[in-house]
Parts: sequence; structure tokens; C-alpha cells
Amino acid sequence: MGCVAGPMAPERTTETTTDAEHELDRPWVTVVWDDPVNLMTYVTFVLQDLFGYDEQKATTLMLQVHHEGKAVVSSGPREKMEHDTSRLHAYGLWATYQKDS
Amino acid sequence: MRPFRRQGDHVDAWLSPAECQVLTLLLDQLEQVLADDAPGDTVRERLFPAGHASDADIAADYRDLTESSLREGKTGDLALVRASVPDGGGVRLDDDQARAWLRTTNDLRLALGTRMGITAQTGPPDPDDPSQEMSVYQWLTAVQGSLVDAFVAGGARRT
Repeated sequence: MGCVAGPMAPERTTETTTDAEHELDRPWVTVVWDDPVNLMTYVTFVLQDLFGYDEQKATTLMLQVHHEGKAVVSSGPREKMEHDTSRLHAYGLWATYQKDS
Repeated sequence: MRPFRRQGDHVDAWLSPAECQVLTLLLDQLEQVLADDAPGDTVRERLFPAGHASDADIAADYRDLTESSLREGKTGDLALVRASVPDGGGVRLDDDQARAWLRTTNDLRLALGTRMGITAQTGPPDPDDPSQEMSVYQWLTAVQGSLVDAFVAGGARRT
């Protein structure tokens, strides 16, 4: 299991990053949706376990899902978001991926 | 039932013979859902959700890419759980077994919840519902909740 924000993320300086490049680099996100069955403690645990988030960040995301109905839990290239979505589906979380709006 | 709690490298619980019979029955039902390819089953749709909320082509691509490995994972988890359910008595699980129980008890709750008509629109089930389904659902919730707590108590292992 990997961490999301580390070595996969391309390093760029702001001077060389144009909007077009940004669009190509990080155009996709993985979204977790609120589900009345999944336990809040379970969702927090899964976010920590799969993405390496600390308890505070995982709890904040879980509460965002609970109160706002959804939360972006990871972002990156499309293939990575497909992979993240399938890892969340393996744990029974309701997740989708989409182009970042 | 005595709920799961952490004991060093393991998690332990105690289940009555009747609880183990119910669990085995639920595993049989889940196995049928996982083996059945018939489209349109609401439980199957919940266990293998669309990868994209609105784009049918992306959702189809996602399904082609991931569904067989997702099904293999769930089937493998189910086999691990089945092999570790006692006739009644103590259950002692290592990390891999406990993860299989965690995911499978969640799938059982999703399956039962879907059959009970619980959706994002309806909100959580009514705990005062006197039906047998509701008591099984609450039992599964207690089992899974104690497993999550046992994982948190042990610190989530990074692999």
C-alpha cells in the first residue's frame, strides 16, 4: 500500500507550471460519498489505512462526507484515481472518480 | 457474544453457536451474490458500485478494469472468514484474518442494509425496528464496530 502525496506527485515550481500543464498533471479526483451503513469509525480507519492520513485528517474528511454528503479524498492522474476508487470499493466505501471541476 | 478486543498481535472474540450459525448462513448468501452475474441485483450494485457518478463510458471502463479483481478479493476474504468461524466459542484472528473479517462484515452489513431498503435517501436504519433483520444488522454492527476499535487500539499497520 502506498501513500498518495509522496513520490507519485510530480515536483514543479510555480514559475514553470502553466494552467495547461496543471490540467494535465492533476486533473482527476477520488470522491467518497455518504453512506448510511458504513460506520464513521470504519470510514476514518480505512482513510488512514489506505492513504496514510493521520487521524486528524482522516476524521476531518470522514466528517465532511457525513455532513456535506461527499469529500475529495485523493487527487492525481486518472489511472491512480481508478486504483484508489477500487481500493475503497474493496473496503465497501461508496467512491467514484471524476475530472476535477 | 463477547466483542473483539486486541490481545497483542491478535484480536479475540467469543461467539455463541447460534451466532456462528447465523454468520455462516449470511456468508452463504453473500457467496451467492458474489457468484451471480445477473445484472440489476441491488445488493450486487452496492458491492460493486459504478466508478463514475455520471459518465457511463468511464463507469464501464472502470468495471472492465476492476470488477474481476474486486470479486476475487471479496471471495478470498469470505473464504478466510468462513475458515475461521468456530462452531461456537472463541475466535482468534491474526492481522490478515482480521482484515478479511473487517471487509466481509462490512459487505454483509451493506448487503443486509440494501435488502432492508436503507439508502442514502432513507438515512440510517431505525434502531427500534423490531424485525429479525434489524437484530441481525445490529449484531453485525457490534461485531464490525469492535473489530474497528481493535484495529485502532493496535495502531493501523502500514504495509
